Amino acid sequence: MDTVKTLGKTLVASPERQLEADFDLTIVRRVQEGDVAAFDQLVLKYRGRVYAVVYNMTSNREDASDLTQDAFIKSFQSINRFQGQSSFFTWLYRIAVNSTLTHLRKNRLRTFFSFEKINEDDKVSSEVIAALTDDTSADHETFARELQEKLNEAMQKLSIRHRTVITLFEIDGLGHQEIAEIMNCSVGTVRSRLHYAKQLLQAELQTYIRR
Amino acid sequence: MNDIPRKTSVTLEDLLRVKRAEQPPAEFWGRFEQGLRAKQLAAIVEPRPWWAPFIRISARLSRYQLPVGATAVLAITLFTLREYQPASQSPVFEPEPARVTLAPSAPVETPTGEFDAINVPTPSSANRVAAVQPVAAPAAVDPRKAQAVPAAATAVGAVSHVAMINSEYTSARYMADNLAAAQPSDPNLDQMLGLSLRNSDASVIPSEPLAQINVPGESRLYRLLGGAAHQASVGTSDSALRLNAQTARHLSERRLSESDVISRLAVEGDRLTVRF
Repeated sequence: MDTVKTLGKTLVASPERQLEADFDLTIVRRVQEGDVAAFDQLVLKYRGRVYAVVYNMTSNREDASDLTQDAFIKSFQSINRFQGQSSFFTWLYRIAVNSTLTHLRKNRLRTFFSFEKINEDDKVSSEVIAALTDDTSADHETFARELQEKLNEAMQKLSIRHRTVITLFEIDGLGHQEIAEIMNCSVGTVRSRLHYAKQLLQAELQTYIRR
Repeated sequence: MNDIPRKTSVTLEDLLRVKRAEQPPAEFWGRFEQGLRAKQLAAIVEPRPWWAPFIRISARLSRYQLPVGATAVLAITLFTLREYQPASQSPVFEPEPARVTLAPSAPVETPTGEFDAINVPTPSSANRVAAVQPVAAPAAVDPRKAQAVPAAATAVGAVSHVAMINSEYTSARYMADNLAAAQPSDPNLDQMLGLSLRNSDASVIPSEPLAQINVPGESRLYRLLGGAAHQASVGTSDSALRLNAQTARHLSERRLSESDVISRLAVEGDRLTVRF
């Protein structure tokens, strides 16, 4: 069974991902042998991506910060149990996503949002905001803020699982197979959830979509 | 703003790219690092609960739950069947009626010295003893007095054999007929029954448990004497076979009429079971 899983992962993962996973595994082995400082390399490498996923799931920067830290602490505590059957990246994401899902279920009724600023160096997002601002007479920053809120509202209307799938696929750029491993479900389920989530978001953000 | 290229179409994926562009400032990561260090230290210093290793072990063993459970169920089933079978089969194998044979010259082979004095009674000697002291012998033998048993057993056993010949109970006759009918078709039947009974009696006699049991009544005494007679039986002559069938008839008859007494004593393999 493990052989089949590894084979499936190898067939799906790209060579770059495979190299990255091998490099992570060497660092993990060092940590397992007692080189605790080596774990910092893994934190520096993945903290931004893990934080982005958690932040887009919670829409709260403080919660996202705490949950990201907790994910790294849990992975550090359990690193001796990591056997390399999946990549460290997938394993860390699974811990972070599960912690976030637990947090969201516990605080389902609490809706407090705090947004990060949109990075102006990101070319695509700047183009999108510029195109949408031209159609309105609103200020650029004001419109960007309004767009953030609308996007957040649309995301919050999704269920937790659909939100997780759309975050991992569209925002973090993971593949179907990786999302399936992280969420512990089939690829078909991932595709189905992704399709449904996109339909809902299309309906919610119809006023911002230009054909 | 004028440097940004104009985008004519905006898709859902483009809008979600805006979400991707939401990133924390650089100073955020300094605070994040401090918080992570503090939590890391707290996690190292914090003592783990005593039951944490058990959770880890049970998580590792969870994959073996099914095979271990199935093996345990199988083992319990086999053990139960093994323990249950002898008890259930013990009433089926009735030892005494099938194996009583008399040999004129073979001495009784017993590990203890108590029965060394028992000589195998020949039919003629049995008749002679029966003529001399027909009634007094059963009363003279007390099971609690083990030293008195050997001499009296010979005499009383002979008396009982004579009485067995004259027995006319229907059930005993049926059993004897069945036994006689089965012997030609299966020549090993007698030997097989004799072996099983010899094995079962071998462990009873040396320990002499019956002598220590306070059970009044003549039926118990006759059973003791019958057992001594079984030990004495070795030969397979025609007269012995005939006497064997008659003895079986007699003992079966007594067993049927005194079933409550018989059910309290049972010989199972190498064990003697006494029910109070």
